[in-house]
Amino acid sequence: MMPAYYLEAAVVILGLVLMVMEAFVEKADKSLIAKMGIVGLLVVLVSLFFVSGPAEGDDAPIWSFYAVDPMALFYKGFALVTTILVLIMSLDYRSVLQHYMGADQEKPGAGIGEFHYLPLFTCAGLMWMASAKDIVSIFVALELVTISFYVLVAFMRRNVGSLEAGVKYLILGALSTGFFVYGLTWLFGLSGETELSKIAAALGNDDSAMVRYPKALLFSLAMILVGLGFKIAAVPFQIWVPDVYQGAPTPITAFLSVGSKAAGFVVGYRIMEPFFANHVAPQLVTLILAISGATILLGNLAAVAQENFKRLLAYSSISHAGFLLLALGCSSSTTSPVNVEGVMALYLGGYLAMTLVAFHVMCLVRAQLGSEDLSAYKGLSKRSPFLAGVLLVAMISLAGVPFTAGFIGKMYVFLMALQSRYFVIIALAVVGVGAGFYYYLKVVRAMYWDDAADDQSVQISTLSKVAMLTMVALIVILGIYPTPILNLFAA
Amino acid sequence: MPWLLLILPLVAALVTALITRKNGTLSAFISLGSVGATLAISLLMVLRKDDASPAFTWIAAGDFTLEIGLTLDALSRGMMVIVTVIGTLVHVFSLGYMEKDESKGRYFACLSLFMFSMTGIVLANNFAMMFIFWELVGVSSYLLIGHWFTKNDPVEAAKKAFLTNRIGDFGFMIGILMLWGMTGSIVFSEMEGGAAEAAAGHGKMFGIAVLCLFCGAVGKSAQMPLHVWLPDAMEGPTPVSALIHAATMVAAGVYMLARVSFLLSLTDAAQVIAWVGAITALFAAVVATQQNDIKKILAYSTLSQLGYMVMAAGLGDTNVAMFHLYTHAAFKALLFLGAGAIIYACHHEQDIWQMGGLAKKMPVTFLTFAIGTAALVAVPFTSGFFSKEMILLTAYEGNKTLFVIAAIVAFLTPFYMMRLFTVVFFGEGRSHHAKDAKEVESVMKLPLLVLAALSVIAGYGFVAGLVFGDLVPHEQVPSIVLVTSLGTLAAGALLGFILYKGKTQEVTPIGFIREKFFLDELYIVLVRLFQDAVGLLAKMLDTHVVDNIASKGTASTVAGLGSLFRRIQVGNLQAYAFLFGVGVILVVYLLVFA
Repeated sequence: MMPAYYLEAAVVILGLVLMVMEAFVEKADKSLIAKMGIVGLLVVLVSLFFVSGPAEGDDAPIWSFYAVDPMALFYKGFALVTTILVLIMSLDYRSVLQHYMGADQEKPGAGIGEFHYLPLFTCAGLMWMASAKDIVSIFVALELVTISFYVLVAFMRRNVGSLEAGVKYLILGALSTGFFVYGLTWLFGLSGETELSKIAAALGNDDSAMVRYPKALLFSLAMILVGLGFKIAAVPFQIWVPDVYQGAPTPITAFLSVGSKAAGFVVGYRIMEPFFANHVAPQLVTLILAISGATILLGNLAAVAQENFKRLLAYSSISHAGFLLLALGCSSSTTSPVNVEGVMALYLGGYLAMTLVAFHVMCLVRAQLGSEDLSAYKGLSKRSPFLAGVLLVAMISLAGVPFTAGFIGKMYVFLMALQSRYFVIIALAVVGVGAGFYYYLKVVRAMYWDDAADDQSVQISTLSKVAMLTMVALIVILGIYPTPILNLFAA
Repeated sequence: MPWLLLILPLVAALVTALITRKNGTLSAFISLGSVGATLAISLLMVLRKDDASPAFTWIAAGDFTLEIGLTLDALSRGMMVIVTVIGTLVHVFSLGYMEKDESKGRYFACLSLFMFSMTGIVLANNFAMMFIFWELVGVSSYLLIGHWFTKNDPVEAAKKAFLTNRIGDFGFMIGILMLWGMTGSIVFSEMEGGAAEAAAGHGKMFGIAVLCLFCGAVGKSAQMPLHVWLPDAMEGPTPVSALIHAATMVAAGVYMLARVSFLLSLTDAAQVIAWVGAITALFAAVVATQQNDIKKILAYSTLSQLGYMVMAAGLGDTNVAMFHLYTHAAFKALLFLGAGAIIYACHHEQDIWQMGGLAKKMPVTFLTFAIGTAALVAVPFTSGFFSKEMILLTAYEGNKTLFVIAAIVAFLTPFYMMRLFTVVFFGEGRSHHAKDAKEVESVMKLPLLVLAALSVIAGYGFVAGLVFGDLVPHEQVPSIVLVTSLGTLAAGALLGFILYKGKTQEVTPIGFIREKFFLDELYIVLVRLFQDAVGLLAKMLDTHVVDNIASKGTASTVAGLGSLFRRIQVGNLQAYAFLFGVGVILVVYLLVFA
């Protein structure tokens, strides 16, 4: 057994080693960097099962802002799996990168080595965030993630779309970070503490400024919600999502859509949790529910009109944030034996699998057929039955067909909302799910019913096949037997 | 270890279906390996009297939890032995019978899937799980009946079997839900506790719930009026008929009744069950006397014997029903496999009038078929004799009218079997196929011999007791039952032999019976009338209500909103920052000032 923070250290060291190595790898092919990253992260993933928290009586300062609980460990694994898959995708996406990096014939790999190791730093940030329980460490981890994303989003420097996405993400991201950190300072000012557990304890004390000045407390929470709303792409802070998702290199879009969102929810849950059992709970819950309803509705309805698969998934990602917020909104009132942490983890776990499969397919299609429009998927079932098959599973899971992870996640969210009697939001969510069926199955229709314009097929490497099949298996297994994840979080 | 019973066939089915399907022989041996291993495990469990009942939570939603759990008791252990023994022998027989089939891989994959589903039914500890496997059994039966899907008849038969079963299963589901509501549980052991109270509290509704449950058995065990699928199901490969449509799956209904025997004793509705069984037994035996297809005769015989079992279950004695199920599984599987050997030797000729004189050409098949026939018609000292005595005794003690019906069936059974036996094995070969027939190879002979041995010894207490423990009925049979049994046997067999000895065609053709009382035709007309009426209604609803109001209205609303939201996305950063700011103000307003 080793202390859990060794994992982050290992990931950072791995990233640094690969950074140095990058200089010595032939410019012809930088894929070695990504492959070593994948192997290294797999080792870290395995060692995740052999870590421990503080021993009895160990009060080293690190433990005051570093949590080792089921939630932390689950989301560390989550970050690792996501990063591994993003690296695999980046291998499949190399030809596009080469094109937009302006590499010449002799040195096609020039300038794309960074693309293969930068995700490791993001990963380390995500892992820290999973454990962060102090507003300082939360902020630092969040910024580590965001800053590496700024670089990655704008990575294809000869591509106007990517650059534009980078600028938009940078400016709006900086704006939201400003609000977030402002909210944190208010919280610190009111409580005098940076450690979340101490803030929660202070809430019970009637002399605390947080209790005496509820408006001030609500204001700080509002600022924090603005910052996190940006990360998780909730209405009205979703505005950047379609453009940035579309412009960024596809593996990074996948990373943003899964990693960044999950991190936002972990932090959100950790910060908000004490306030759900408190005098500000009614206002907080009302706001979260309002945002959730708007997010579900806007995400799903806007997706209906999309013809570009990447934009479609961007809106889909917004709508899933809405469902997760609905789960979060049930924190204060649910009585069910499944708890909010469990349902969020289950939902995000399924979301990881199905979203990454969809983006993986998109990477391959973009790299080899040169398009991200739905029309490129016409007749894919005849040209590349494997790709069409895995994308079919991902789509029906995103839509929420029974026996998939997507269904189970939604089912528990609906169940909790029913127990909490949030009937208005449930009605909105039902409309959202209905619209979802339409646009997800639109992709399926293109693949299976429409005729192909040509008979170009897509080559798939064994590594990618294994990765996609693993995710498909995960979708099905979670869809039939979600209990392990729920048990992980059972009290 | 009991989990292996479920996992092995599932893995075998997946591996053979997904990986090795192209390689038929390899698939066959994977499938055989899995069924052999489950046989060993079942026998071990019976010997050790394992009754650990492992379970884990599958779904927890609110106060409701659904378990995947196994029941291990004398009943399920014994049933597992039946399923795996017959299953193994049928797998072995199939090695020979399906040797030249082009899609052997698919065939064995389906067999493994069937073994998985059947095991699930037998071991399930709650109704939800049983229902899932119940449906899975339906699917695998569908796949196997339609194995030769390039021909029209198997496809039609598969469809018919599936749909007919669905009707029964619908009732089954309603029954499950009703009983769940009444007893507050779907786990068998918990239902047993709440059943008496529920029966007292709900009166007639309880009886209706039990009858709905029985609908499931009516479908799966092919009782009147849903019996029509079973004779048609004979279009499938003959080993499948032996395994699924004679020994195991069709017995699932009877098994289910035995599993919930505590419900049957609480309500008068059980009388209905007994009558359905008796009528089926009689009807099927009558129809069997006029069939010309060897497999159809055996199929109607199966129907008739299943009717016996259901009757016994309805009269409250499920142990007797299970005992007959157990002996019947052995000798009927034997008869079907024997028929398979004959059909195989006669180049897929199934008309008994095209056979004849096979006794000399296929001595092993002849001998084993004779033993199977003897057991079916209940010749003393064969297994069928013991179980049929018990059935007759149950009927005698329970209801005298039913006893008379059972006695008539006991007369008809030896009659139609002697007809079959005489026509197929004696006289001259009546077609060149029959004249060229040769004894089958040893891989097919072996299961016949094993089953023949089992058909004789299975009824004795020392064997039956091993399999079913205390559940085997022992009772002194009064002489009137014994006399009836022996008298009907002698009369029926003699009449059959005399009438059909040396004949080359039907001596007493009765079209009405040969055409199964025209029930199939009646169903077709009824279904068509009903379908047309519903279809017309649905079409009107669809064009006038759904299309105009629901679809077009919703679609245009959604599309309008969609393009509205799309317009927000102007792509201009200043505008985005502005909207972001508006959002911040909105959030602060809502949270702090609203």
